[in-house]
Amino acid sequence: MSESIGLTARHSASVNAAAGQPLLELRELDTDIALRRGTVHALDGISLDVAPGQTLGVVGESGSGKTMTALSIMGLLPSGGRVTGGQILFEGRDLRSLPTDEVRRIRGVRMGMVFQDPLTSLNPTIRIGAQVAEPLRVHKRVGRAEARDRAIEILRRVGMPRPERIVDNYPHELSGGMRQRVAIAMALVCSPSLLIADEPTTALDVTTQRQILELIDDLREEFGMAVILVTHDLGVIAGRADRVAVMYAGRVVETAATEQLFQAPRHRYTEALMRALPESAIRDSGGHDRLISIPGLPPDLSGPLTGCRFAARCSYVSDECRTTDPSLTPGAHQHACLNPVPTPAVAATGPVPAQVQPAAEPTQVEPAAKPARVEPAAEPVTAAAPELTESPVLSVRNLVKNYPVHGRGLLRRAAGQVSAVADVSFEVRPGETFGLVGESGCGKSTVGRLSVGLERPSAGQIVLDGTDLTDLTGRERRRMHRQVQLMFQDSYAAMNPRMRVDAILAEPLEIQKVGDSSARQERIATLLDQVGLSRRALERYPHEFSGGQLQRIGLARSLALHPRLIVGDEPVSALDVSIQAQVLNLMRDLQRELGLAYIFISHDLSVVDYMADRIGVMYLGKLVEIGPAREVVRAARHPYTQALVDAVPSITPNRAATRDGTTIRGELPSALDPPTGCRFRTRCPRAADICTTEPPLVGGLHQVACHLPLRPEPAGTPTPVEAVG
Amino acid sequence: MARYLIARLGQALIVIVLVTVIAFLILHLLPGGAARATLGKEATLEQLAAFNHEMGYDRPLIQQYGMYVQRLLQGDLGYSYQLNQSVLEAIEQRLPKTMVLSLLSTLLAVVLAIPLGVLQAIRRNRWPDYAITALSLLAYATPIFFLGLMMIILFSQVWPILPPEAPQGFTVAELFADPAGLVLPTATLAIVTIAIYARYVRSSMIDNLNENYVRTARSKGLSERRVVLRHTLRNGLFPVITLLGMYLPALFSGALVVESLFNFPGMGQLFWQAALKRDFPILLGVTVIISIATVVGALVADLLYAAVDPRVRLRGSAT
Repeated sequence: MSESIGLTARHSASVNAAAGQPLLELRELDTDIALRRGTVHALDGISLDVAPGQTLGVVGESGSGKTMTALSIMGLLPSGGRVTGGQILFEGRDLRSLPTDEVRRIRGVRMGMVFQDPLTSLNPTIRIGAQVAEPLRVHKRVGRAEARDRAIEILRRVGMPRPERIVDNYPHELSGGMRQRVAIAMALVCSPSLLIADEPTTALDVTTQRQILELIDDLREEFGMAVILVTHDLGVIAGRADRVAVMYAGRVVETAATEQLFQAPRHRYTEALMRALPESAIRDSGGHDRLISIPGLPPDLSGPLTGCRFAARCSYVSDECRTTDPSLTPGAHQHACLNPVPTPAVAATGPVPAQVQPAAEPTQVEPAAKPARVEPAAEPVTAAAPELTESPVLSVRNLVKNYPVHGRGLLRRAAGQVSAVADVSFEVRPGETFGLVGESGCGKSTVGRLSVGLERPSAGQIVLDGTDLTDLTGRERRRMHRQVQLMFQDSYAAMNPRMRVDAILAEPLEIQKVGDSSARQERIATLLDQVGLSRRALERYPHEFSGGQLQRIGLARSLALHPRLIVGDEPVSALDVSIQAQVLNLMRDLQRELGLAYIFISHDLSVVDYMADRIGVMYLGKLVEIGPAREVVRAARHPYTQALVDAVPSITPNRAATRDGTTIRGELPSALDPPTGCRFRTRCPRAADICTTEPPLVGGLHQVACHLPLRPEPAGTPTPVEAVG
Repeated sequence: MARYLIARLGQALIVIVLVTVIAFLILHLLPGGAARATLGKEATLEQLAAFNHEMGYDRPLIQQYGMYVQRLLQGDLGYSYQLNQSVLEAIEQRLPKTMVLSLLSTLLAVVLAIPLGVLQAIRRNRWPDYAITALSLLAYATPIFFLGLMMIILFSQVWPILPPEAPQGFTVAELFADPAGLVLPTATLAIVTIAIYARYVRSSMIDNLNENYVRTARSKGLSERRVVLRHTLRNGLFPVITLLGMYLPALFSGALVVESLFNFPGMGQLFWQAALKRDFPILLGVTVIISIATVVGALVADLLYAAVDPRVRLRGSAT
């Protein structure tokens, strides 16, 4: 698949779009969802179109209406949902005025949809083949035997290994990535002219994501389909879409050709969203500058709204924004912003006077955001430098964790063991952030749980502040573990829903018998200040908070006992980009103030790249590479690390849509019976005979466990202080 | 699969043994004793002692239990002096009739409850749902003896179309000789069961209809009918299997109240009368039979589950 073919196809498609009829056109679409507490106006005047062979990206944060747009088109709104106005023109006919049976047929034959969660989107009790072939059987009256053959054929086309066997399997027998392939096959089996993919890869690992996105791209070219790609991930859109529509609070706020949008966004929300990405901070400053976060939360769509819906969170807001409802400007690059980002080419597209006047205002607002960026810029350098001299907070040596797998029998004899963590060693120094990346099942979370003492290692040592915890009795060990606290991905699930926030924060103090009641109150007040929440939060229950606020409460709870190290297990993975930036900034601020060390566990390499001073990359229980963050990401030595780096979708133009580079194929092997030697060799493009022996983790500061590393360690790095086993 | 089955049977056996121990102990520790119950108030102490000696009731409990188990293994459940027949015979006479009653009412309940529950789920929070819910709760809340009495009054007094008493007789064939007599007891039993099952089917169907896979099915342009029947119904009926498994013991024990009410010569009546007369051999025999049925019921439900749900089947055999 070369880049040029993709581009020409894409190019010709856009030409068609300009000349011919759009395949699908939404005109002023309104959708309401009736809930018990009122009606949410989920979509308000959405107008979009997509031409055959074109990919339209719809991007937005949660609650923006991107999924509701997709579901409105498909007629699959949840109960209470209803399209209340506008038109859905598909091949020139308004789906809203067609009889139900006809719409159903169009939905089944001419359209296909792929959903976010492949694990729950397939019927658990129907065989794969029957599910894939069902549209054929129902809509095209194809016989049983032929339907089976067609199912095998389409499964083969979507890259399913051994499709003639898979058709007889049930969904639970397949991995997430494979199930998503089944879902795609199912959507494509009637050769639809429109494919709607709603967050098709959000639940998948990056390397799998890359495979699935490439597959959708290839299929679009092959079938000449139009694709609507709905996602929260700007990077995913940047590499794949011809046009992009940015949604916010139930409206399209900006739409443009992809390159144009990413190079010169006009709407202040689009701009802020891009700048909130960790990769933007790294690209712009080359360092760990503060992220530009978007303060506040999106508006509640159940009440009446006046003016620009982003006004309350916008740094460039003017009085006009709060009163005037901006509409999309005409032209190819449309935006609904009264104070848009000025562009050099502005004279060509927009009315000039309207732009010049408000442009003066932002410059006055700008300083409010600027100092926040500039001031801490110098800090990380000093924070990162003194590492080597200090003794580590946490030192993990030859850590092993195996989980026994039990047989079914009466005695539940051990039938084998899952090797979750195999011989992992690393150190974390005071004030340092150690990033741990890897895909699901690589053991990174297990390392986190072992580090905080939630589980006991099968072998190896965990040395906290010079004390080996394996020697200690249970009570002493628990005391020591006060110094290491955990921060969860889903803070809501990690809090007792029936406890108020004050009780949640007081609990660790009470358990560890810290101070008296007034001292605890004082401590809790300090904690709230530190994480930037008001005192009123104390009297409320977890469900009253948003995701970002919950993460702050979670952080406050971790801080209660003055830990020296916080293990964050995917602490921002469930958050929207704008909120993620708030939480990441907070974590960095606290690190500076309190001298905290972090183990930052994430599947998202760009977030880890932004946060971490050093990064460890895990694959199937093994640490395959460890070194300074910038080097690991930009000069990866292990082929797996390189594949991860290449698979991360990016909005940076030259990094987006690179389709060569290290791509890994296939599935993660079972940890029940990991490959001998190098565990990555079964999927490694460079694997050779020597890889059947286990490679040691070697090197100075930047170590790699690979016989055939991609590049040597840069010269001039200090020699290793100690050998790592 | 075979290993799973053996393991489950082993567990079942342990449970049954424990049940016999407990039942045995409780019955023997009750005041009064079997001798007095059998021989009556007029019996002298010597007669009681002689009876106890003859029956082995004067030996240590452990020994008595050992003898009991030994006989049990030979299929000898004991002899009821009060009925003047062996326990096995007494049970053999009643069990088929009880099973007929239970099966008929269960069948009726399942056949009616599933469509009702499905209808409620599809029309949830609209009038059919509310109406059926109200009726279900009413049926659920009505004590069964009251319900039975009302049935008798309504259908054999006010509007005399059905006999108030179940058909008598010693064989199943005699039951069917008078099918009209079966209607009221069957209906009384079924009404409560329908209410329970319909509630389960409703909530299970609603859960399943909200699942992502149903949305996927709809995205294929399937008719609502196909979405419900082909995709949701099967998954929505899993809880009913558990219920049926739990109901299996009732198939053997009979319905005490309904059997008494309609004078139905089944297991419930047998047990009730034996309890009144302290007929230990019958009580013990029935208890053992029911405990076996309970254990087997749970096992059958699990196996049925495995048969219809591929996830369970594979979990059972894969590791």
